[in-house]
Amino acid sequence: MKKKVLTLLLASALTVASLAGCGGKADDGAATNSAASDSGSDAAADTDGGSDADTSASSGEVTDFTMFITMPGSEINSDNEIAQMIADKWGVKIKETWLTGQTASEATGTLIASGEYPDYIDSDDMSLLVDAGALVPLDDYIDQYPEFKDTWFTPEEWEKFRQPDGHIYWINPFGNTMGESTATTHNDEAFWIQVRVLEWAGYPEINTLDEYFKLLEDYVAANPTMEDGTPNIPYTILCEDWRYFCIENAGQFLAGYPNDGSVIVNKDTMTIEDYNTSEDTKKYFQELNSAYNKGLIDTEFATQTYDEYIAKLSTGRVLGMCDQWWDFAYTVNDVFKQQGLDEQGCNYVPLGLTTEEGMVNRWHTYDDTVNQASGVAITVDCKDPDKAFKFIVDCAMDQELHDLRFWGVKDVDYNVDADGLYYRTDEQRMECADTSYQASHLCQYSYMPQWGGTSRDGKNANKPEEQTSEFQNGMAAPLKNCFDAYGARNYVDMIGSVVETNGPWFPMYSYSNNFTTDTPGGVAWAKMGEIKHEYLPKVVMGADFDSAWEDYMAQYESCKPEDFLGEMQAILDTFK
Amino acid sequence: MARVKQKKDKRITWKEVKRQKSLLIIAFFVTVYGFIFYYWPLTGWVMAFQNYKPAKGILGSKFVGLDKFKFLFQDAAFIRVIRNTFCMGALNLVTTTIMAILFAVLLNEIRSTIAKKLVQTISYMPHFLSWIIVTGILHDALSSTGIINDLLMRSGVITNAINFFAHPKYFWPIVAFANCWKETGWNAIIYLAAITAIDPSLYEAASIDGASRLQKIRYITLPGIKPTIMILLLMNIGNVLNAGFEVQYLLGNGLVQSVSQTIDIYVLNWGISQNDFSLGTAAGIFKSAVSIALIVICNYLAKRAGEERLF
Amino acid sequence: MKKKKIKSSLGSKIFTILNSLFMIAFVIITLYPVLNTVAISFNDGIDAVRGGIYLWPRKFAIKNYETVLAMENLIIGAKITVARTLIGTVSSLIVNALLAYVVSRKRFLFKSQLSLFWVITMYVNGGLIPVFLLYRNLHLTGTFWVYVVPGMVSAWNMLVLRTYMLGLPDSLEESAQLDGAGYMTIFWKIISPLCKPVYATIVLFVAVGQWNSWFDAMLYNRMKTEYTTLQYELMKLLSSVMQQSGSAASASERGSAAAAITPLTIRAAATVVTMLPIICLYPFLQRYFVTGLTIGGVKE
Repeated sequence: MKKKVLTLLLASALTVASLAGCGGKADDGAATNSAASDSGSDAAADTDGGSDADTSASSGEVTDFTMFITMPGSEINSDNEIAQMIADKWGVKIKETWLTGQTASEATGTLIASGEYPDYIDSDDMSLLVDAGALVPLDDYIDQYPEFKDTWFTPEEWEKFRQPDGHIYWINPFGNTMGESTATTHNDEAFWIQVRVLEWAGYPEINTLDEYFKLLEDYVAANPTMEDGTPNIPYTILCEDWRYFCIENAGQFLAGYPNDGSVIVNKDTMTIEDYNTSEDTKKYFQELNSAYNKGLIDTEFATQTYDEYIAKLSTGRVLGMCDQWWDFAYTVNDVFKQQGLDEQGCNYVPLGLTTEEGMVNRWHTYDDTVNQASGVAITVDCKDPDKAFKFIVDCAMDQELHDLRFWGVKDVDYNVDADGLYYRTDEQRMECADTSYQASHLCQYSYMPQWGGTSRDGKNANKPEEQTSEFQNGMAAPLKNCFDAYGARNYVDMIGSVVETNGPWFPMYSYSNNFTTDTPGGVAWAKMGEIKHEYLPKVVMGADFDSAWEDYMAQYESCKPEDFLGEMQAILDTFK
Repeated sequence: MARVKQKKDKRITWKEVKRQKSLLIIAFFVTVYGFIFYYWPLTGWVMAFQNYKPAKGILGSKFVGLDKFKFLFQDAAFIRVIRNTFCMGALNLVTTTIMAILFAVLLNEIRSTIAKKLVQTISYMPHFLSWIIVTGILHDALSSTGIINDLLMRSGVITNAINFFAHPKYFWPIVAFANCWKETGWNAIIYLAAITAIDPSLYEAASIDGASRLQKIRYITLPGIKPTIMILLLMNIGNVLNAGFEVQYLLGNGLVQSVSQTIDIYVLNWGISQNDFSLGTAAGIFKSAVSIALIVICNYLAKRAGEERLF
Repeated sequence: MKKKKIKSSLGSKIFTILNSLFMIAFVIITLYPVLNTVAISFNDGIDAVRGGIYLWPRKFAIKNYETVLAMENLIIGAKITVARTLIGTVSSLIVNALLAYVVSRKRFLFKSQLSLFWVITMYVNGGLIPVFLLYRNLHLTGTFWVYVVPGMVSAWNMLVLRTYMLGLPDSLEESAQLDGAGYMTIFWKIISPLCKPVYATIVLFVAVGQWNSWFDAMLYNRMKTEYTTLQYELMKLLSSVMQQSGSAASASERGSAAAAITPLTIRAAATVVTMLPIICLYPFLQRYFVTGLTIGGVKE
């Protein structure tokens, strides 16, 4: 009897072994394929002209690419419908893998150490990947597509992407506007507040942090719970990993400067200033500290993960927080819609707060921001770099593909009216906010090149949320009432930042993001980050603010921030 | 009998080698395997003396001597990490050992065989759960709506929920508790076996002398398992440095990193996240060296303890 | 004399009561978190967020399990985990047993050298990064075999097996040799059948280790979702639940009353699914690991 069991075990083990073996073989097959397609690269480059039987066969084939993005995201199903449509027409299907359970740099480091790369990668640590020889230089590919080269970036912008070794390795997929800007959202940082709070208070003018916390305090005193009895959380802060900007950099905005991220640039003197030690920042933390001690801040704020944070916001209990729109809004607003919370006034609107009344409000960035620190890159393991690059170009240049990614399938996900204007019905809007529908049907390839603004047809926006009519119709009543009360048409009006063009150095964070520990400034930058991660929450939670702040400042100074500031100044000086 | 003796005296002969052919073949393959998987990585230690760049490889990278070690010992974070590793390792070792002994001794006092069996079976269970599950459960239990805050608030000890993972002072106790929860029943197995091996006549004699149960535990049971306790303690001291990864990695966060990070996590942070293979390797070498030193000392002590036991 | 006896029995009673209380507390502390997780896993998601669920679900739902069992990656992870547990355990048992057999032969020429060779590996290792580079150079990273091959021989398991084999009487081997049996025949026909208890122990140790491991999947197969493991998927789920945070409700269920699923309950359900097989199995294997630990712990 026992013998039988053992035989059975062995037999099953062997079966599985042979199965796994097959997997390995398939892999090898793919590797040889890629070698083969390397030689036939020219054929792959021109896809549509296929008179010759041989070429059409190779171009009609669907190539499966993998892509790793060091951001959390939702994986789409492997049988996703739009992904299949894209594969049928453009010959490329991408399996996106997102960051889970690790920090971004740990995940990138793991890839480098194992030497196994996906076909595409978008990481926060691009310079490490370049060092490891993991990326394919894209210069020649870019030159092959002159139209793309001219449209996507200006020559100066392309230059920003050039690495010390003289090559361009990645292309930032965001921040490009086509035609007229139709931005309706404030896709930047702000202190957000739920419209139900403003409505309750009779839509007051909130201009300073003082007023903001006072309002939250009053509201929660009068309304301790939501309609269904869940207790309200007046304010929460995300401190996890690189997203700790939510606690860290509000000081620069409160002082009236734009989002240079890691430093303040004083335009008059062309000098770098450190906002970490500024009076505005100190006042901001003092405000947070007193709010915390009044019980206004979520006690779990310091240890929550990004996902816990998003889950918390999704319940509608959180009245306010400081964050970037893209960091929370897409997921949270979809859930609000699904759960009917938008009708209860849970939507967030941005407030352009400053330390004192009457200071300049620079929260909103009006011009296109090119972040040269990251973007989509093709790795040396890529099965077919030519085809992979062609698809990047297609994403940027092919309006049909763009519409399919962001609007969906015509007559299914959106309709076209007599004037050629795209619109969605309430049902379609609801469907598109449903996560399971997103997984099975919609496919944005959201880290591939994409446009804001008006599409090539001159009528429609490139993205549904920027379509004015769509935006108007998609708003729940409480949000609409709020905008009306403040005389705003949309989020951009709501925050009401002054329009001012930023210098060519903007944003400075795109330089500091690429600092490595090879220079003293880079070491200081890494250490400052660690100290801030540890001490900023402590400052907020401290029973005695002054001593907590002094502790923090002492630790902060020991990181030699002057090394970092000096290197940033040197970069800024190149723009003089 | 004589024949056996004759055989033992035999020297290595060709015939013997031939007879042992199968053994030698196995030994050969296993040794090759061992060389590749356990000994070859030691050559990677060269990286600790280089400024290793993945693109260049070991042969192409520049030698920097002891620079990486200098960096390590000048880095306040590394010193903290050493402290954390030692302190958490020691704390875990002490608490888990005490809990296991306490549990084994008290379980032994349970008269009902069924109850004893049942409790013991339940006590093993956490050992079979992965750290992923254990830390997940712990995270929920200690969350603001979890059972611990619930109990504390109901009993009036606190009025507002405590965020246990935000305060460095709670971290070591939490890790120690997690280890106790997971391993007490499992570690008790050996002590229970040792208790069973104690001569029952000792207890009978003590009963006749009117010894209470506590006295019997104190004067018979504990001395009876003392050698086992000593040996296990000494054996485990050698492993103190190896016990600091999964729990700390899974439970740690930015706010408690000054007390939560261990050498292994430091290696992961520098070696993998910052991609400084050299520094990661150097920290790893340091850990290996300390481990070996600990083991040598403990083996020496164990031998001495063993000798004392003989007399 | 009499008085003393009464006193001691009173003390004994108090001791029994206190001891029983201790054991009850111990059992509660051990079982409660697990039972609580089971209760939460059967509760409605939104309702569970309010807290206050102890040993029984308040608003019963099996949607959590439907969701968990529909997760593509979790199913792949389960398959891979079963495969690595089977292959890893069988191969590890065979190799370790053979090695233990070789070093436990009294007349084997390199008996002590080979033992020492392996004992050293228990204490000295290259560390995370050199090992990583080795696997990479051997092209083990990104394959299934990285779960099986590197850990196949373990000095500790080998020593447990060796101790047991050394405890078997020599006469068995000698009489078989007189009958003309070679070493391999003796191993398969005579030694192995006698070693069943200790084999079972090793199988248990290796299998539990394989079943519970996740770090290798995270480190060596980061990009290979086809080789993910159950525990790694659980780990990802515990730290990241965004994909499931929205509701998958159909049109009729929409609105605030929708039977939504939330991270909390999904996590609980996935935890239960992952621990179920092992919790069901271990009580039946008790006697094996008790023997094994006693051999391994006391004698070595």
